[in-house]
Amino acid sequence: MRSIQVDRLEKIFQVKKKQEGLAGSLKSLFRPQYANKAAVEGITFTVEQGETVAFLGPNGAGKSTTIKMLTGILHPSSGTAEVLGCCPWTERSKLAYRIGSVFGQKSQLWYHLPPIDTFELMSRIYELRREDYKQRRDNLIERFELGPYLNTPVRKLSLGERMRCEIAASLIHRPQALFLDEPTIGLDAVVKQRIRELILEMNREEGTTIFLTSHDAGDVEKLCDRAIVINHGGLVFNGQVEIMKQQFLTHKTVQLVLEDDPGNLVLEGVAVLSSSGSRLTLSVDTGLTTIESVLSALMASHRIVDVTVQDPPMEDIITRMYGTFVAKEAVT
Amino acid sequence: MISLSKPAKYVFIGKITLRNQLAYVFDFMVRSVFLLLILYIFMQLWQSTFAGEGTSTINGYTFKQMMWYLVFTESMVLATPSLSTRIEEEVKSGDVAFKLIRPVSFLAFHYAEYMSEVAIRYAINLILGSAIGLLLVGPLPVGVGLAWLPIMAIGGFTVNFMLGMLVALSAFWVEETRGLEFVYNKILFTIGGMLMPLELFPESLQRIGQWLPFQTVVYFPARTAVGMHLGEITGAIATQWLWVVLIGLMVWLLYRKGVRKLNVNGG
Repeated sequence: MRSIQVDRLEKIFQVKKKQEGLAGSLKSLFRPQYANKAAVEGITFTVEQGETVAFLGPNGAGKSTTIKMLTGILHPSSGTAEVLGCCPWTERSKLAYRIGSVFGQKSQLWYHLPPIDTFELMSRIYELRREDYKQRRDNLIERFELGPYLNTPVRKLSLGERMRCEIAASLIHRPQALFLDEPTIGLDAVVKQRIRELILEMNREEGTTIFLTSHDAGDVEKLCDRAIVINHGGLVFNGQVEIMKQQFLTHKTVQLVLEDDPGNLVLEGVAVLSSSGSRLTLSVDTGLTTIESVLSALMASHRIVDVTVQDPPMEDIITRMYGTFVAKEAVT
Repeated sequence: MISLSKPAKYVFIGKITLRNQLAYVFDFMVRSVFLLLILYIFMQLWQSTFAGEGTSTINGYTFKQMMWYLVFTESMVLATPSLSTRIEEEVKSGDVAFKLIRPVSFLAFHYAEYMSEVAIRYAINLILGSAIGLLLVGPLPVGVGLAWLPIMAIGGFTVNFMLGMLVALSAFWVEETRGLEFVYNKILFTIGGMLMPLELFPESLQRIGQWLPFQTVVYFPARTAVGMHLGEITGAIATQWLWVVLIGLMVWLLYRKGVRKLNVNGG
């Protein structure tokens, strides 16, 4: 079953052109000039029910604009989209009952009231039956381990505690699709991990479609099967996270311990990331050379005590991926 | 899954706002102290005016009525939160998305929130204002008009909400709406009758005022409460709600237009 279907979706904003100087400012007061700025340029993709998809791209790539169109907040300039069989912008309120959303930088909880009150409000807004609500609420409280803070005003919760409440609040009406915008922003590693586990659990047990934007590589790697990457409003990658890693994984990290100090190491396609005496960390460009030839070249002159070969962290892959976009633009 | 009737949703929103607002009670009380200053100044002013005129009533108002009239108008005006600030903030920060993403009406949500906030602030202002009134000029003769105050205040606040929303919704088009709100507030001070009853205005201005919605906000409730125009109560309430419907329609149309061109910030 299709959960999200997007076909040539486009959003063009009209931006007032600011002219230089005071005279320019005055002129644009009376005769403003507008420039068209395409935030999203004809993207097409589909997401199946129950999939976990990372929606990636550098700042200003059009991620938020796309999410806003998919949740019905923004009307597109052209193109169509269907979320759970509804057209988001014409059937916004109908769709609203079936989707959930978490924006890491915005809170939906009532600041001075304990989270339980927001849950109660959500149950009213989503018109849940009392029995259903109570059962669901108790289940979420147990799963998210919210018991201790249920009756504490939100303003007194830590960010991690609050975020768990935010996500629980967005799940109370059993949404079929959950839109998450930077859900782990600002959290420490342990809390991040816990939040990812919880999201994944909901996905596995209830088949909730997860559509996530994040700048956190861990979110992508741990949470998502597939990645959709956009840049400058256009689709640049749509496939399995594993494949994305391979495609943009042109470097491997090799950590070595030698018996002696190799001195100044010069090999084609190899960059020394760090070295302290006989310990070396190398970055090997697999497009120019192979791990094998690097190792045999080293073994010819040194004795190797220990070696580990690693993929660089997701972080670097994303950085490299965004970097390639910039490089490509420079060429064209 | 739909088992609750829709109004229940908004009643609950009102309830939760009320509870959230209780955190600010102290803040409201401090604001209300401002009433003391205003009422004191106006007392001096009206005392000398009445002395100068040498009559016991001015356009039908006794000194006591005039002072209590001020208690009622000031309590209302000081109870209204700035919708412009709120909507503008929501549009600028992108928080408006939260309200749009849920199955609630944006306008009804704000109305529920506004009315319960106003209710708590108005109650505080009335209690403090009345205490000050009692202290400065003595009790107002309790009459039939006072009984109508709650109903007329609901009408007045609703008109005020609609007018405020009309101004606030321009945030969808322009960056700053506070200028417009400032002008609106000054209109309310003058031909809205906050500073003095409309009877005291020149004939021509009164006639213009009658065709405008501003008189229904504070002037109608306050004049009824002090026992003036008691024969016109039903007419006044009908006028209030006629304006609610008329301006409400404009607000609704403006909102629909605004949402279509909404530029949610932050992305």
